[in-house]
Amino acid sequence: MTTIPATATERDAVQSHPPARLPEPPVRATLGRLFIAPLMIWLALTIVLPLAYCIWISLTSANTMGGTPKFVGLSNYATIFGDGTFGPAFLRTLAWAIGGAVLQTVFAAGAALLLHQRFAGQHVARTWIMASWVVPTIVTTFLWRWMLNADYGVVNQLLLGAGLLDRPIDFLGSPTYAFATVVWINAWRWFPFLTLLILAALTRIAPEYYEAAKVEGATSWQLFTKVTLPFIQPVLYVVGLLGTLWSVNVFDIIWLTTKGGPIDTTTTLPISIYIRAFQQFKLGEASAMSVSLALFLLLFAVVYIRFAPKGATEQEVD
Amino acid sequence: MKTAEDRNLHQRLAARLTAGVMTGAIVLSVGVASAEPIQITLWHQEQVQARVDQFQKVIDAFNASQAEYQVVQQVQSWGNIYQKLPPAIQAGVQPDIDFTIPDFTVTIRETGAVQPVDDIVAEIEKKHKFIDQALTPYRDEGKIWAVPVYGMVQVLWYRKDLFKAAGLDPESPPKTWEEFLNAARTLTKNGKFGVGVPVSKSLATDQVLYSLMSVNGGTELFDASGAVTFDTPKNVETVNFYKQLSELSPSGAASWTWPEPQDALNAGTVAMAIEKGQYLTPFEETSGQAADQLGCAPIPVNAGGEEHSIYYSNAAMVLTSDPDKRKGAAAFLSFILEPANYAEFLLAEPGLFLPLTVDGASEAWTGSPILSKYKGCVDLMIGMSKKGVLPGFNTGTVQKAIGPIMAQNLLSQVVQKVVVGGEDPQAAVTWGQEQMSAAAGQ
Repeated sequence: MTTIPATATERDAVQSHPPARLPEPPVRATLGRLFIAPLMIWLALTIVLPLAYCIWISLTSANTMGGTPKFVGLSNYATIFGDGTFGPAFLRTLAWAIGGAVLQTVFAAGAALLLHQRFAGQHVARTWIMASWVVPTIVTTFLWRWMLNADYGVVNQLLLGAGLLDRPIDFLGSPTYAFATVVWINAWRWFPFLTLLILAALTRIAPEYYEAAKVEGATSWQLFTKVTLPFIQPVLYVVGLLGTLWSVNVFDIIWLTTKGGPIDTTTTLPISIYIRAFQQFKLGEASAMSVSLALFLLLFAVVYIRFAPKGATEQEVD
Repeated sequence: MKTAEDRNLHQRLAARLTAGVMTGAIVLSVGVASAEPIQITLWHQEQVQARVDQFQKVIDAFNASQAEYQVVQQVQSWGNIYQKLPPAIQAGVQPDIDFTIPDFTVTIRETGAVQPVDDIVAEIEKKHKFIDQALTPYRDEGKIWAVPVYGMVQVLWYRKDLFKAAGLDPESPPKTWEEFLNAARTLTKNGKFGVGVPVSKSLATDQVLYSLMSVNGGTELFDASGAVTFDTPKNVETVNFYKQLSELSPSGAASWTWPEPQDALNAGTVAMAIEKGQYLTPFEETSGQAADQLGCAPIPVNAGGEEHSIYYSNAAMVLTSDPDKRKGAAAFLSFILEPANYAEFLLAEPGLFLPLTVDGASEAWTGSPILSKYKGCVDLMIGMSKKGVLPGFNTGTVQKAIGPIMAQNLLSQVVQKVVVGGEDPQAAVTWGQEQMSAAAGQ
């Protein structure tokens, strides 16, 4: 039976001296460690070991064709930062991630707000919007390659038919358009997933908040900024973090549409790493690029979480 | 004197021994009766279903012709074979045979798994002599590293009906660069284009550029010492010529690889294209024209140049060191090159796969339903095979740097810089020279 402190002094005393936590019984603690051991071993095998191996390879002269790698210290890092390929690829990767994040968030927030409204066919629309996300990437890329083809693509035909162009644009073959085009394709592929997350957050907002705000005379914009946005903010932060990390590592869409071209205009770091490893066969240098990219992403994640507004990256548990 | 107990013991031992021997004999006889044929795993990168099916016919015929070996094909892709084969070799699960091209062979030889095949080639050559262009790319360090199985060569394809409609003589295709350019200009009108050349970063662009380099004195990318010699006035002239051709090509050429020029030629959107023999099979059906409306000619030559074309000798690398499997691989490759089987094998892609043995162009092959309609073009391609060249493989000493140079598509990157990026041809060729030298470790 718990006794309630009778006076304020007693309560203060209890708060300032909380009961010391009892040590876990040895058997229970051991059992806990045993239960968690398989997961820890699995993580070590699938994440820590490959990462450690990648770091080791980045310090060697390994090439993709095998042979015995020799330890070369940091010379692979000196090469990749000194030969003028890492910097431009890194900047392109940043532009790719930021451009993609902005586009995807705008698409997703817009789509989620629309789908949150009540209208006939709402459920069908909510399902149908997932189409671009659930189809395989290879289908997405071929679809867009066909639609954007300069010779027979429907997009050029429509633009030419509308008199907006006097000759077709090679969207994926032109240095002017290729980067923006692949960012668009990637955003189109991924925004349904983000829509789903934001929509889930929207459904958690009780209608009473809107009703109360309306009674107070809030405008639509105020409803969005003062009610909707604060509620979906945690999701937007998580989406921003995950979306950026995923975007940076996207390889398939770029490779299947442009292979990093034309003239390197779509060569982001993952593409550059692939070329270094499997076209130049320099596995050591490719690993050095991978490690550098991983460190950057780690740093980004730490800074992002550290400077995110309090509570933005935590979900309350009801 | 033996006691009754001893006798019983001996009888029991004798009975057990007899039973053991009989059991052993039965097991042995069952084992011999059910001895499995040795499996020979064949990888190739010809993914088109018709080619896979035709290969299977030949494989089935081989498997049925003897009981010792069983060949199994596993289809791979040129898109990922560079990433797939080296790890397979490192893990010891590589195929016994892999179909290859010369620069891929150079790359895979670095793994140490590629076996010399001089003995197999010598045995085959007793009956079927290879043309020089077939074997030269695979000779290096005094050994032969793959058994040639089929060739591919580029020629100039053109639409005779479009030539006629533009007022050009369909029986006089361009022979020089000047004629080529003039014809392309004449043919470019009313939404039609004189020529279709790819400008993407791809092997397709590499091949067309190299064919044009080869007819303008640029067959070699290396000098005798192995130094890269790409930056020459002739190659600058060739890149500039490529740019002029691209201006007479459709807008989307920067994304083109192999299928698009062919589709455009069949659709009548372009009148000329430089490519290999895959143009024959679908021409009538997709163009709606009779076979005689597809023209072919040697690649036009620049002043002072010689008639050449890029030539790929496709071959079989033997990747097993197991003596029994090696014998099986040799038997299978010899079987393929027997004229009766070879015709069937080459018809996996009529016109694209060319014979590279002196007796390979058999009646069974040339008289096939498709090839018999294009006899002139088939003869042209066989003739051009003997003038075929390939960067880094023309001297009987392989330049190792050619592997990474071709894998990085450096030739097509030069083209892209000029055509798409608007760079000066000299500057782009100088850049190409630097990149190739870096790839060569120079």
